[in-house]
Amino acid sequence: MIRFGLIAVLLLATACGTSGPQAGGGEGAGGGTLHVWVLEDKLNATQQKAADEFNKTSPVKVVIDKFNPDSYPDKLRVSIGSPNAPDVFFNWGSGSISPYVKAGELADLTPAFDADPAFKSAFLPAVLDVGKIDNKYYGVPLRGMQPVILFYNKQVFGDAQPPKTWTELLSLVDRFKAQGVTPFALGGATAWTELMWVEYLVDRFGGPDVFKRIYNGEPGAWRDPAVLKAAQAIRDLVDRGAFGTNYASVDYNSHAAETLFAKGRAAMHLMGSWEFTNHTELQPDFAKNGLGFAPFPAVDGGTGDPANVVGNPTNFFSVTAKSKHQDTAIKFLKTMMSDSYVQGLLDAGDVPVLGSVEPKLASTPNPDFARFQLDLVRKAPAFTLSWDQSLSSAGAQTMLTTIQDLFNRKITPEQFVANVENVK
Amino acid sequence: MTTVLDRAGPAAAVTPPGRRPVAMLSRPGAGWIVPGLVLFGLFGIAPMVLVAYLSFTQWNLLGSPQFAGLANWQRFFTDPAILDSLWLSAVLTVLCWGFQTPVSLLLGVWAAGKQRSRAVLSAIFFLPLLLSSTAIAILWHALLDPNWGLPSYLGGDGNFIGTPQGAMISVAFVASWQFIPFHTLIYQAGTRQIPEVLYQAAVMDGASRFQQFVHITLPQLRHTIVTSSVLMIVGALTYFETVLVLTAGGPGTSTYILPFRMYATGFRSYDMGYASAIAFALVVIATAISIILVRISGFAKMRSTREGL
Amino acid sequence: MIALLWLVIVAVPLLALFGATLRTQDDYLDNGPLAFPDGITGDNYLSVFDKGFGTALGNTVMVTAGTVLLVMITAIPAAYAIVRSPSRIVSSGFRMFLLGLAIPMQVTVVPIYLVITRLHLYDSLLAVVLPTAAFSLPVSVLILASAMRDVSEEVYESMALDGAGSWRVLLNLVVPMSTSAIATIGIYSALQAWNGFLFPLVLTQSADQRVLTLSLWEYQTQFGINVPGLLAAVVLSGLPIFIAYLFARRALTSGLMGVGGK
Repeated sequence: MIRFGLIAVLLLATACGTSGPQAGGGEGAGGGTLHVWVLEDKLNATQQKAADEFNKTSPVKVVIDKFNPDSYPDKLRVSIGSPNAPDVFFNWGSGSISPYVKAGELADLTPAFDADPAFKSAFLPAVLDVGKIDNKYYGVPLRGMQPVILFYNKQVFGDAQPPKTWTELLSLVDRFKAQGVTPFALGGATAWTELMWVEYLVDRFGGPDVFKRIYNGEPGAWRDPAVLKAAQAIRDLVDRGAFGTNYASVDYNSHAAETLFAKGRAAMHLMGSWEFTNHTELQPDFAKNGLGFAPFPAVDGGTGDPANVVGNPTNFFSVTAKSKHQDTAIKFLKTMMSDSYVQGLLDAGDVPVLGSVEPKLASTPNPDFARFQLDLVRKAPAFTLSWDQSLSSAGAQTMLTTIQDLFNRKITPEQFVANVENVK
Repeated sequence: MTTVLDRAGPAAAVTPPGRRPVAMLSRPGAGWIVPGLVLFGLFGIAPMVLVAYLSFTQWNLLGSPQFAGLANWQRFFTDPAILDSLWLSAVLTVLCWGFQTPVSLLLGVWAAGKQRSRAVLSAIFFLPLLLSSTAIAILWHALLDPNWGLPSYLGGDGNFIGTPQGAMISVAFVASWQFIPFHTLIYQAGTRQIPEVLYQAAVMDGASRFQQFVHITLPQLRHTIVTSSVLMIVGALTYFETVLVLTAGGPGTSTYILPFRMYATGFRSYDMGYASAIAFALVVIATAISIILVRISGFAKMRSTREGL
Repeated sequence: MIALLWLVIVAVPLLALFGATLRTQDDYLDNGPLAFPDGITGDNYLSVFDKGFGTALGNTVMVTAGTVLLVMITAIPAAYAIVRSPSRIVSSGFRMFLLGLAIPMQVTVVPIYLVITRLHLYDSLLAVVLPTAAFSLPVSVLILASAMRDVSEEVYESMALDGAGSWRVLLNLVVPMSTSAIATIGIYSALQAWNGFLFPLVLTQSADQRVLTLSLWEYQTQFGINVPGLLAAVVLSGLPIFIAYLFARRALTSGLMGVGGK
């Protein structure tokens, strides 16, 4: 009896909750707060400064909430389904926001862009479109581009040159192994570090359309020969000892891979451009004197353009549909285009995707790296978004664990293809 | 826990029948238990009912759960990943039980002695119990680092926690490191309850210390062994923090034990319906194992192991 | 033999833990976890406080206090009713608590998340307190009921003859006579709250509401390769319980036995 009573009470509470009032970011007329969710990284100081500046004049106060990158997508999903959703949040565009768009949780920003052509035209159009879903804009690209780059340790390299072709890469692997240096640092306890290899190799072997077909869920898309070739190339690297032997235990999140690399125990490191900022923070001497950067090499017989890049074309800020302060949110996002904000990004090593950014590069602390990044992205015929951000979260989980199995030699390249075949 | 059941039953059942009722004796009404029942009903019992209900729905955290019939259960019984997780859970459980039982049994018997040095050492043994699972997993995550941790002392490349077997052994070891002190206490208390006369008689018969252990201590501890084993096994079936912090289920899915798969399915892949099906299966398995163990061991009533603490 | 072996297995990691917190990062990385410190520094402990340790500590204290309080005010009357009340509702309620002993709290996270969000409690400390207290209840009620049963019928009768109502009996007789059981469940539920991880993980998100265990997990990324700093946080998180252990070893041991039993 009691038990049934309790359940009834609970179900009642549950039912009320779904239709009940949503306590959004703020309350009351005029005042309130605007919660902006960002990743915990080197840009937080700049973001906070922008918020402080904005709050001086705005009745609605901006609060910057910072999150650990690894658990951020979970936290976001959980909160957007709850009354504690943020007003504005950081995301990767594309697959990372499409479920929210489908559920009607995001505000359509197209009117805001249309109302202010100067706002819209400030961004590189190709990048702006990554935040477009069903011909509507849901994201404002207000952070740097983050291509994946082949970093190399100049001290370890000596007179050697970074590889331009796969053959050169393999001979470097043998050379460094002979010297007792691990050719590539790899934080293999963290699966997405290994995904970067798959993304680049598939692109080099078969071009960006291979992943586009996978993303569109076309049957047999994973059966493209480029996927198998990429998996075989990875298996070959692993067998050659290109990543050393204990990479599976190395945790990227503990900065273990970058420390090995900076200390000269590894010669190269394939990682997102943010790694440059991490090194300037953690190993400033190395960042200044020892850190080299190069594009990912071409592969023999590949049909993909070697100028293509993978990574995060940019990051976006999106506004939630339930936010009570959408206008304020857009106003705040516009202030993030100010010169002082852009300068803050540049100083932290981030190159924002604004058309007007080039003249400002010279005055940054690391103009070489900033220019390298901008050139790399500009010349790239295709810039593929990280696969784990494009695919559904369940698919991404399966893909990531399967890639780890491939790197750990638990499965063959053929099994890899078979195991990811149904991922979308 | 179960150990105090026989003394804590409801009043009505144990009031001696022949006793003269005192008319004015005021007894508390049912209202006194209501706050506790509401709290536990809302956050303990109702979630169990709800988990069963949710296992028949589809819910990706956005919006409300949608009824999906048997879809999750059909998937559950055909999903090779579930079989894999079941196997990994079984391996972990066996490893934990096989490691913890002999160590804590021997330590418990040893610590039951009255010497002062034993008390001091026992106090040290106890220390891991003071830290949270999270803190312990973080400590060992640092100590198991291939380049800067303990593996570097053992020679080789330190690739231990990154291998499927190494990762599973690490989880089992770290969990055992945390819980052996607890089971040692159980065995210590159990040993202290063994009547001294049994040993005195054995000594007169000229039994060696080893013979005493085999013929007196072990048989006398059999109830304690069952109690401790049930706790170990149900515990190992529900380890979560240790896996999340230490290996995050990796490498690949090598440490995706059932509770971790439940979490990953629910809060990483956002498939709450399927996660609920896994959760429900987990309850059934844990309960079934406890019941079977208690039945096999031939006693329905557990004796108190709390006495002597 | 085995005792000495186990001493090594327990003491070495703990010494490495404590030693590392007094060393610099370079010393630790270059010389390994077991090396004798090059020099001693207190910076690691200070660095923990720059990363919001104070907030997390405050939150954990509040969650712990809230849980203990809630368990006390619900478990004590419930146990009293179980021991003294003739009501049939009470005996079926008691069976419900027994049933609850078998529920592993891990499996309830999904529905509890649903309930908490629908009650608009998501991302608050109360969201952590409620389920934590609820899952401490079955063990607490059993321990208390078992202790209260030791109070003899004659004592109840003599108080009743004085015209004492249930409230007075509870406060003047039952509670004073079960202080050690009450201490045990207090410590048991406090440990549950202090060391709890899963409920805070699933039910809170923002830094202001972050408890110690979650902070430790976050620190793993924040400190990264700064192992001494990370381990200093580990030591600090266990310090309050260690102090309690020094002063109240017996009560803590009984409380812990309850913890392990869950």
